[in-house]
Amino acid sequence: MSALSFKMLFRKGGTASSILAIALLVTILASMNSITNHINSQAEMLGRFVNVGETYLILNRNSTATTDSQIDAELTSLLNNLTIIKYVLPQRVLTATLTTSSQNHTITLRGIEDVTSFFKLRKAYINGTAAKNETEANIGEILATALSINVGDEVTLTVGNNLLKVKVVGMVRIQTQSDAELIVPIEAANRLAGNNGKISFIEFALKENVNGEDAISHIAQLLPKDAKIVRTQQLKEFMQEMNAQTLNFLNIWSLAVYAIVVVASYVIAARLTAESSYELAMLKALGAKKGLIFILVLAYTATTALTGATLGVALGIAGTQTASTMLRWVRPSVEITPFLKVEQALQTLLLTLFSSILGCIYPALKTARTRYMEQPL
Amino acid sequence: MRLLGFKYLKRQRILTLALIITLSSMLFSITALSLLGFYRGFTAYLGEGEDIVVVYDRRSRTPFTGLVPVYLSERISALNGVLASSPEAIAPCLLKGEAIFIRGIIPEGFTKLNRITITDGSMLELDDVNSIIVGKNVAERLHLKPGDKVLVLGALTDQYLELQIKGIYTSHSPMDDEALAPLYVGQWLRGTDYGHVTLIRFKIDRSAISPARIFEEIAKEASELSPAPSTKPELQPPSIIPRITSRFRIEDVGIDEAQRFMKSYMDRYGVTREAILILSVIVFLFSSISIATATKTLITQHRGEIQVLRSVGASQKTVKTDLLAKLLFWSLAASAAGITLATAILWLVEGKGYFQILSHTISFQLDLVVIALNFILVSLLVSVSILRAKMEL
Repeated sequence: MSALSFKMLFRKGGTASSILAIALLVTILASMNSITNHINSQAEMLGRFVNVGETYLILNRNSTATTDSQIDAELTSLLNNLTIIKYVLPQRVLTATLTTSSQNHTITLRGIEDVTSFFKLRKAYINGTAAKNETEANIGEILATALSINVGDEVTLTVGNNLLKVKVVGMVRIQTQSDAELIVPIEAANRLAGNNGKISFIEFALKENVNGEDAISHIAQLLPKDAKIVRTQQLKEFMQEMNAQTLNFLNIWSLAVYAIVVVASYVIAARLTAESSYELAMLKALGAKKGLIFILVLAYTATTALTGATLGVALGIAGTQTASTMLRWVRPSVEITPFLKVEQALQTLLLTLFSSILGCIYPALKTARTRYMEQPL
Repeated sequence: MRLLGFKYLKRQRILTLALIITLSSMLFSITALSLLGFYRGFTAYLGEGEDIVVVYDRRSRTPFTGLVPVYLSERISALNGVLASSPEAIAPCLLKGEAIFIRGIIPEGFTKLNRITITDGSMLELDDVNSIIVGKNVAERLHLKPGDKVLVLGALTDQYLELQIKGIYTSHSPMDDEALAPLYVGQWLRGTDYGHVTLIRFKIDRSAISPARIFEEIAKEASELSPAPSTKPELQPPSIIPRITSRFRIEDVGIDEAQRFMKSYMDRYGVTREAILILSVIVFLFSSISIATATKTLITQHRGEIQVLRSVGASQKTVKTDLLAKLLFWSLAASAAGITLATAILWLVEGKGYFQILSHTISFQLDLVVIALNFILVSLLVSVSILRAKMEL
């Protein structure tokens, strides 16, 4: 009896418009998702134009910056023993007071184990020579101009109660933050801050032919718990966050569409019970139980929603593809290639089905509870 | 025969129709207002008004990734009618794990084009090496305060910087979602030399100079420049940024009003104000079939009452007119509720900073066209649904 009853309900004239109502709502979702996918893929494509570097930092896990980070200096030798490493640059970064003949200034001091290699790696332009011992320093071009310091000048550095006199032996331009810092051999930084076997961080890079992810997870296993590895170029993460923002917007917006699906399903079920009141009363008179009536209304609405959702997904994809092709004819410079991922299509179908069931429960229950004598004919 | 005083429509059934209209209006309003908010914010990103012009890189695919010679800023500033100039290096990066844009600026020039108010800490100076000021939205989102040190990681370049927060500003513009740093910091993060910036903005007196005249000057510079680009630093105090004069091709440089410049990028991807409105109307129309179904259901549910009215002499026209009079009021009220609900949701979401595109909060404004369109579409839809309904005996 249930199959026949189900068939009977589907033969009602309102079924087609009910399917269309759900289909068009899902079309909105599918087309928006398709366009968003295109925008996100464009953003990812733009990201591929950029060469991504393979430089990493090992910092203290609790640090928010390089100056407040402290890690064991012994980690340097651990990295040096690995064959996958291209270079290792242990550094100690401090905030120091620089005293010239006329004034005091707070500056950032970068202590580096091998200053010459550091400059070579950074392709630095040097006016003078690289600092070789703890009485020599190199100054970044921007800092030098800001503080009016020239090559050959002597300056005093103070960290806490420790003082160190250094001679500026070279002015550098690296086009990095070092242009606004004083660069000294790490021994000088240790003398100022105390040699406690700690450094601020280690900069390292992997060899070209090394699988980055595998290598980093291997290194991470070797590190103590208080150390973390950070990649210095975060293009992928930046793009992911940009895409996540668009998806977040779309998700919040989709909630409004699903809310309409809930109400539309309520209307569909209400309409079914209003239009099929005779059939439903007849079924009850023939002995149909409450459960069957409830299941019939529920199954009708769910089937309508699922059919509508499938049609809507198809319409959404086809519609956006057609619109983008037409747009390309009108404006050849605009190239939009919308697409929908399988998991997105499935998610839309399931959420529509769920919303639909949610919307039809009340009218289905109400109809099931109505006795056939009360049924309006 | 007058039916207005005869209450034969059940309120609960009308409420279902009202609810679906409310939700459809809400969807339309959220779509239109948020997308228009994004469009308005994006096009006003570099300033509004005809007096702000931008020198930009014609080859760049986005407004954030072009490169133009910075020395043009000084050359053009010298022209009569140019009131202020602001070379800017815009760099995408990650700060405390969150994607933001850091704009390298020369504070003196920048503040002549954009009014910013420091709410905490102090204003940035060009020689504040390793310092940064952050917009109020960024400060709130990332819990930043003056004196904090942050590690900034580059997106376009393999760079890491430690910067100290010098102040927090408010600008009541998309800039509140950015951070401002000295120009050279922006150049490091953008991965360019000291001779290039993303774009240069100028404030001009339109009665004294036009963008075309500035372009002529740029063309002159392009042709006059010595063939070999200078790579050696030519330090010229008082600026602390090394000056580099680089060669460029005039075809690569463009000039336009700031708003038109940003609109042109949106146009490239087919995004215009009209397109957004059309899209929103399509969204409404697609959801409107549910309104038509709901109207039809309401009539079906009142079939008995309508047939009684018809049998006592009410014509189809009379019944339809009466339904229109009764339902239109509810529909317009539901539509107004939808707009109010959408406004409240957008206001809440904006306040919490959930709606962000390109790391900039979408700020929405009520748009009269959107409201009017909403009422017109709802009225039309309900009227057509009622007028097309069959009410035979």
